[in-house]
Order: sequence, then structure tokens, then C-alpha cells
Amino acid sequence: MNEWITKKPLEWQEYVSKEVKVTADEKNTFQGWVFTVDPVSASIVLVNFLDAGKVSVVTVMGHAIQSVEVMNEDGNHTAERLSALFKPANA
Amino acid sequence: WQLEREQSTRSALREGFLRSLLGAVGRPLHLTMYERVKVNATFGASDIDILNFQVSNLQTPLGVQKEALLRCSDIISYTFEL
Repeated sequence: MNEWITKKPLEWQEYVSKEVKVTADEKNTFQGWVFTVDPVSASIVLVNFLDAGKVSVVTVMGHAIQSVEVMNEDGNHTAERLSALFKPANA
Repeated sequence: WQLEREQSTRSALREGFLRSLLGAVGRPLHLTMYERVKVNATFGASDIDILNFQVSNLQTPLGVQKEALLRCSDIISYTFEL
């Protein structure tokens, strides 16, 4: 079992709104801003803001994650954009 | 109160994840599976424990499958655009 999957919710929360590099099985790597981590499957949801207002969402399954490395802490502006992403339409 | 804090963080993280899954419904999904397999499909739903994905129009190297269930344990990652 990998170390990532055994983390606690408060530890996963630390990664939210930070830019990370995820190394996964079979030499796959992914980079993006952390939107959330599913506490059930330990899957990490990464967001990348593309040109023309497009947003790319990559989820790496918890069981496939080997390591998660923080690249950029930045924040305030990114955190706002992230929290607005999947808001329900009637909110 | 430590436990309470942990539980509320847990539910906030979970809600975000379920919202991201809802956001994927009906969108083209690019999946990276084990053994270097890459497939495309339209996302439909997942079960609550994230064990299976229900997808439509699964484009595999062996042809298009109208409806399919993917075991999450076979998936490394999936991508979609908003």
C-alpha cells in the first residue's frame, strides 16, 4: 500500500489549492492545481487553466499514486477560481 | 473536537470530489489504464465507493462498445475538459 492512501483528511487538505506534481504507476506524471482529494478512494483532482477559458480536469486514482510533490504554493487568486469551478447552478 | 475537525474536512473534500464527478457527466473522458492502454468514452456515473465507472461509447482498440463498466482498479487517471 502506498503512503499517499494512508494519509488523513487534514493532511490531504494541506494540498488543496497548491500546484503539485503527481507521480503515478507506469511512469505517468501529472501536474496541476489541487481541487480536492477524495477521502474514500484517495484520488486527487487536478485542475489546469487553459487558454480561451477552457479548464482541464485530471483525476489520478488513489491506488495508482506513488508520490505527490508541491511545486507552487501561490494561491489566493487560484483558490478563488478553483472554488468557483463546480458550483451548483442554482447557488 | 479534533475528530470533529477531521470529519468536517473529510466531508468538504468528499463533496468537492462528488461535484467534480457530476461535472464530468456526459463529457468525453480520456482514460489512462494499466498496460499503457488509452481509451476514450463518455462518462455516465460512478458508484459511491468509486469501484466502477459506467461509460458510453467506449472507444477501444477492438472497436466501439455502446455501454460499458470500467473497474476503477484498472484505471490510472482520467481527464476531461470544462
